[in-house]
Amino acid sequence: MPTPIITKDLCKGCELCVHACPEGVLEMSTEINAKGYFFPVAAHPEKCTGCRYCLLVCPDTAIQIEAKGKVTVRTEGLTDKQFHYCPGCTHGVIHRLVAECLEELGIRERTVGVAPVGCSVLAYDYFNCDMHEASHGRAMAVATGIKRGRKDLVVFSYQGDGDLASIGMAETVHTANRGEKITVIFVNNAIYGMTGGQMAPTTLAGQVASTCPLGRDVNHAGWPIRVVELLQSLRTPAYLARVSVHDPKSILAAKRAIRKAFKYQIDGVCFSFVEVVSTCPTGWGMQPHESCNWLEENMIPYYPLGEVKTPETAA
Amino acid sequence: MAKKLMKGCEAIGEAAINAGCRLFFGYPITPQNEIPEYLSARLPQVGGTFLQAESEVAASNMLYGAAGAGCRVFTSSSSPGISLMMEAMSYLAGAELPVVVVNIMRGGPGLGGILPSQSDYFQATKGGGHGDYRVLVLAPSTVQEAVDLTQDAFDLADEYRNPVMVVGDGLIGQMMEPVEFKRTISPEDLPPKPWATTGCAGRKPNIINSLLLNPEHLEAHNWHLHRKYQEMVKEIRWEDWLLDEPVDVLIVAYGTVARICKTAIDVLRARGIKVGLFRPITLYPFPEPQLSAAVDKAKKVLVTELSTGQMLEDVRAVVAGRKPVSFFGRVGGMVMTPEEIEHEVDKLVVQG
Repeated sequence: MPTPIITKDLCKGCELCVHACPEGVLEMSTEINAKGYFFPVAAHPEKCTGCRYCLLVCPDTAIQIEAKGKVTVRTEGLTDKQFHYCPGCTHGVIHRLVAECLEELGIRERTVGVAPVGCSVLAYDYFNCDMHEASHGRAMAVATGIKRGRKDLVVFSYQGDGDLASIGMAETVHTANRGEKITVIFVNNAIYGMTGGQMAPTTLAGQVASTCPLGRDVNHAGWPIRVVELLQSLRTPAYLARVSVHDPKSILAAKRAIRKAFKYQIDGVCFSFVEVVSTCPTGWGMQPHESCNWLEENMIPYYPLGEVKTPETAA
Repeated sequence: MAKKLMKGCEAIGEAAINAGCRLFFGYPITPQNEIPEYLSARLPQVGGTFLQAESEVAASNMLYGAAGAGCRVFTSSSSPGISLMMEAMSYLAGAELPVVVVNIMRGGPGLGGILPSQSDYFQATKGGGHGDYRVLVLAPSTVQEAVDLTQDAFDLADEYRNPVMVVGDGLIGQMMEPVEFKRTISPEDLPPKPWATTGCAGRKPNIINSLLLNPEHLEAHNWHLHRKYQEMVKEIRWEDWLLDEPVDVLIVAYGTVARICKTAIDVLRARGIKVGLFRPITLYPFPEPQLSAAVDKAKKVLVTELSTGQMLEDVRAVVAGRKPVSFFGRVGGMVMTPEEIEHEVDKLVVQG
């Protein structure tokens, strides 16, 4: 019988697993863990079907699944270091997906990642491969330098919306236009998390942020930028996809896209870019599971998911 | 190897190749365009890569990536473009990455002009970007010296894991002189860089980083960098010209301005006036003890630069009030003539 194995001290009490479980296996504890958070317990283990939804949505790799005598393990693409992200932040999920791809594609030992400035500035502590920390917005220029210098390496950048679509937009457009054989993971949560919730280039119309307290006025600040569609207009072949991590099925689709993006790079085909629409419960001022619902209802209509361009379909 | 007549900019490009550099990232700006133009044709011939970036900001961050991955890499630009690279220079210094940056200086501030200048002395020698850092700065006065110093710059950058800047004015970049490439290094013969991000097979991951959030760690890092800059004094280079005997006037000048001074000194000497020249070749570290010894032999000091007086401040600090220090500068792309230098020296001699 499958069972969720919970490492309680990794948990930050976001409750995403409890909401994701379709069978009602999990409940939150009444005691707190070493960090001071309530954590999930398998209150009804007999209901577990081994669907792994709890594992998929957990941003802190606190849940593994035991089934048929085997236990899933944290990917070796991640270091042992615990994420510093807020409870329920989906950065942890996206980190895990990227790291799993590095492991499954057998490229971890020849990969160099580039971390941005923003919430994921410390990503170099989490990915178990060689890493660069770049200045704000320049991750793709740094990645270009690495790849042009050492074509044998697999190079990826991991950037947020302020880094990639605001201060780094010139680097973004030109790196894509040159068709650099790198992979870009673009985390779009429509807000500046690290600096305290200011407006991002991707903040939705009417969405409240600390520098647009009445909501984004598009006549004043312009419309939120759809980066994937903007890059789609370039003639250079590319793999451009937009995915989300607000529920287990989306997370599985996100992983397929990230894996495909790396594959295109490994095969020397094209520039590959995956926008991951994600949540910022702290910056949005919502519970983590409410953030996932808000994302689905508000962000996906404006940022439609799917493969926007593949090298095979390029003009 | 036979001498070859080459333009300064092209000779600098060829010098980089002879130093085992196979990567150039840059952005066009006058008056140094012959460097990227030359390398765009030359680098592919030797299996290297030339890439015209979208901006100096991007180019300098490409350097950060390539240097972190262990490659010899360089860029060139001119004053306004160098200003745009200052962000990356700070990160390169913080992350201790070896790169070579050539600045063919033009007049400023702002867009300024496109003619020769030495007005980026402060920017080059006092840090330039944010944070407490320095770069080693080399100032050639001939095309041959530009070749030699550019090649040395790569070795110095690797030795100190620090950016090295070669500063020349528009004259150095544009004039043609016979040059010789005294040594050629192949990239395969360069020493390995175990700290570089080359893939973590068989070892723990390497991280290229300048972020140290713990203030104790950042303070320790700052002092570590400071000690490194102090060690660079052993790289100090300078030229004493006609300083075997005491002189009435000691001229202090660097780069091509020093050559103009030498022409003036020849004329002054023929007229029986005792004049000598002290030429700093490393602008950082500044040759303080060497200049101090030269000042001891002089009655008066004349500093001349293509600026309103930047190196002047370092000279005054060395002289420390022991001798009178006067200044003559031309700016905006205007270059002094030997006659003007002669006139300035005459004024000092007449004053007695």
